[in-house]
Amino acid sequence: MDALYNFVLIYMVYFSVAVFLVGTTLRLVKIFRKPKQATSLQIYPEKRAKWLGAIYDTFLFPSARKHKPVLWVFLIVFHACLLLLIIGHLELFEEFKIFQLIPHEVFLGNGFLGLIFCVTLLYFLFRRLLSPVRELSVPEDYYILILLFLIAIFGSQMDWARSWYGYEEMVVGDYRTYLLNLLTLKPEVPYNVLIAGHSFMLVVHVFFANLFLIFFPFSQSMHSFLSLPMNKLRRG
Amino acid sequence: MDQNTRNDLLQLFREKLNSAMTYYLETCTRCGICTEACHVYASMGQVKHISAYRHEIVRRIYKKYFKARGKVWPSVGEAKELNETALEELYESAYSCTGCRRCMVYCPFGIDTQMIMSIAKLLLIGAHSEPEILTLLADTSIEKGKSLDLFKESFMEGVKKLEKDVVKKWKMEAGETAIPMDVVGADLLFVALAGAHSIIPTAAVFNAAGEHWTLSFFEAVNFGAFVGDPTRTQLILDRILNEAKRLKVKEVCICECGTAFRVMKQLAADQPFKVSSITEVHARYIKSGRIKLDPSKLNGPVTYHDPCQIARNGGVFDEPRYILKHLTNDFREMSPEPKYNWCCGGGGGLVALGEDTLDFRMKSARVKADQIKTTGVTTLVTACENCHTQLNNLNDHYQLGVNVKFLTSMVADALMQ
Ligand code: SF4
Ligand code: SF4
Repeated sequence: MDALYNFVLIYMVYFSVAVFLVGTTLRLVKIFRKPKQATSLQIYPEKRAKWLGAIYDTFLFPSARKHKPVLWVFLIVFHACLLLLIIGHLELFEEFKIFQLIPHEVFLGNGFLGLIFCVTLLYFLFRRLLSPVRELSVPEDYYILILLFLIAIFGSQMDWARSWYGYEEMVVGDYRTYLLNLLTLKPEVPYNVLIAGHSFMLVVHVFFANLFLIFFPFSQSMHSFLSLPMNKLRRG
Repeated sequence: MDQNTRNDLLQLFREKLNSAMTYYLETCTRCGICTEACHVYASMGQVKHISAYRHEIVRRIYKKYFKARGKVWPSVGEAKELNETALEELYESAYSCTGCRRCMVYCPFGIDTQMIMSIAKLLLIGAHSEPEILTLLADTSIEKGKSLDLFKESFMEGVKKLEKDVVKKWKMEAGETAIPMDVVGADLLFVALAGAHSIIPTAAVFNAAGEHWTLSFFEAVNFGAFVGDPTRTQLILDRILNEAKRLKVKEVCICECGTAFRVMKQLAADQPFKVSSITEVHARYIKSGRIKLDPSKLNGPVTYHDPCQIARNGGVFDEPRYILKHLTNDFREMSPEPKYNWCCGGGGGLVALGEDTLDFRMKSARVKADQIKTTGVTTLVTACENCHTQLNNLNDHYQLGVNVKFLTSMVADALMQ
């Protein structure tokens, strides 16, 4: 069992982070270095603040708000949760002063943020199962949603699972040791993390997260990076 | 399909993969926000006409041959082989899309379906499966550019015969030429469509405004762009660029043809002359008082159909409305926001394909007909030959009871001497 835990929590993490970082960078460099489109792809009427407009379109999806308001609410909540969850995970490495404007322990909302995130994912899945989005979808679209759901449900419910053990096991300090070990290339999972009753949840969480990271550079998730340049093209 | 043909086609595909195209092919999340954007889907309700479905047909081939995934795990993105069936799908998709780019306004990323369809069109040319008539027309245009001397005399004679009709619309001093041609140093080169209806009214307006102009030997329409052939598009355009440079004009003015205007505006961006649409030029004349219009010529409510390539894709929105303000006091907008105007359903070469596409054009533009009906107008104005033909067909088919008019002719008819 320990060998399996070690594999998922250490070696697979190294591998997937490497694929994610190298894959994403190489793919982006390759795409950005392709020849530029010679003609304008702008949509009119023209607005003056082109970059600002493109940023607005990229982060607030005004066209989604206009044409699919319900979906837009879920999209905004989903992306906001994603952002907060990423910040929350950074805090598992160490405390960042800037995030402590509102004093808190770890910015993960006691698992509730993850739950909300899961609800939005269920909504997206449900939407995909209905026509006409069903006809548009390809397997990758479902896989990504399911992967994210599994990552989030196991990740977020660890906090709840911890309450089974009276909040004694796997505390923030343990995570920090684990992640610091990873960062400083000391491939060792702390004892507390391995023996906790709900360790399996961490392993499952990390396992699916690894899969997601590996798939990311080759999937439509690359829209995270490509949305801004595309919106800029539309703005002119 | 044999391997050699496939390789040739994939080479054509590869040439299209610049950065913008790659963004578009990599990004679609198949969220379906664009579903209701396409007039074809809105009118006919078939999923295959949703813009994302159209690009997925091209994207599946991209996933198969241009992504590592296509070899390792093709089923994850439903990657598809390029074969005869794929070509049929590409044809159906590309020639039912008018390239109006309304869907691009809906998409949160701004994916350009017209761009993606240009791959489909190019592959069809490579496989000799494109609508032949379009290539034929494109080649005729190119030929005309090569052998100008052969037809120059007869063309000038033909144009001479139109002059009396121009003078009927705007009287001129004795000795003045109603339709000047081949004038070196003219301020403006006007590129018309083949046909008197495009030349006569515009000539009258130019003369009324005292413009120092000259008529191009070539017609504006670019069949190369309709069939999606970049080489032919450029060759057809070059004829006009060369003429403009030879005559040292300051401005090239494109008649009422949406595609010709957009292609010229885009591909002639760094030329020593400016490119304008005839609508912009007319608005300028009115603004500066060079022409005066009689508003009493027009009765009843009027609406204006924004040709996609001139408005949403070309940026000319205000000028036609400004002109119409001088022609009527009962102008009604068709769409609350002109950039959301429905396509007439005739673009992308569909009108040029004539009777063959008529049935589809009528069915796929039902929403356009409804939109016109809702305005309750008696006069429907537009500024594009393609749109004009299609709107006339819609008028007959749906019995809309409107009078479909060119903006230019209306300006010419309302000139005050
Ligand atoms: S709106 Fe854009 S991203 Fe969404 S399905 Fe349509 S083309 Fe794809
Ligand atoms: S460009 Fe126009 S016709 Fe083509 S898919 Fe988009 S909305 Fe439909």
